[in-house]
Amino acid sequence: MKAGAWGEKLVWRCHICNDLHFGVEAPEVCPTCRARNAYVRVDTAEALALLGEPAGELNDVGKVISSWKVFCQGSDFGLTRNDEAVANLAKGVLENMRNHGLKYCPCRLTTMDREKDLLLICPCNFKAQRTWEEKGECWCGLFVRREK
Amino acid sequence: MSEDRLIWFTGRECEHCKELRPIVAEFMDEYGVEIEELEVWHDERNANLLRKYGEDIAEACGGDLAVPSFYNEATGSALCGKVTKELLKLWADIE
Repeated sequence: MKAGAWGEKLVWRCHICNDLHFGVEAPEVCPTCRARNAYVRVDTAEALALLGEPAGELNDVGKVISSWKVFCQGSDFGLTRNDEAVANLAKGVLENMRNHGLKYCPCRLTTMDREKDLLLICPCNFKAQRTWEEKGECWCGLFVRREK
Repeated sequence: MSEDRLIWFTGRECEHCKELRPIVAEFMDEYGVEIEELEVWHDERNANLLRKYGEDIAEACGGDLAVPSFYNEATGSALCGKVTKELLKLWADIE
């Protein structure tokens, strides 16, 4: 898999605690066990086998919203104050996960080009969008710039 | 009689689509035109139709295929996002 300008992403395993990382380079410090220079490359199939039973699934609206709230912590953006909209959009990404395999943005549509479609997973890189520049919000109006 | 349609593409969980629905309804009433709503995330046929018109729609949406978006099959004109009735009038090619 190619990852745009960042080069080829690979899967890495911490040889101390089996933490997994998917990226161009391995982290210098393992965020789980804090070991330094501890990562070794693994096959994708090996990584999937290591994941084993699903854990910490984001499979309901409350869990998705909770993950978004954590994501917003310490950033210059937060969730819209319209709770009904947040819940509806969370339902949308869950529907897309169930029907289309990934938590795609419910306000855009896949092109069937995998590389392009990976950019539609919510939360996306919304600060690159026109709506962020113009209105300070993602396309859906889910993530909004915090008022100072 | 032309079979060209005025279409608006929506997503079931798209908030802007929900907000726009009364405006589109009002517009249809006011000008006596039909705008066919096609939901794209739960109907693959509708999704493929949006993709078919994708070039024009993506241009109107700033690069992505997005909803809410509007496509005039007669003129090939596309609109995207939270539109006004004035914009819809131009898009629908109403005198």
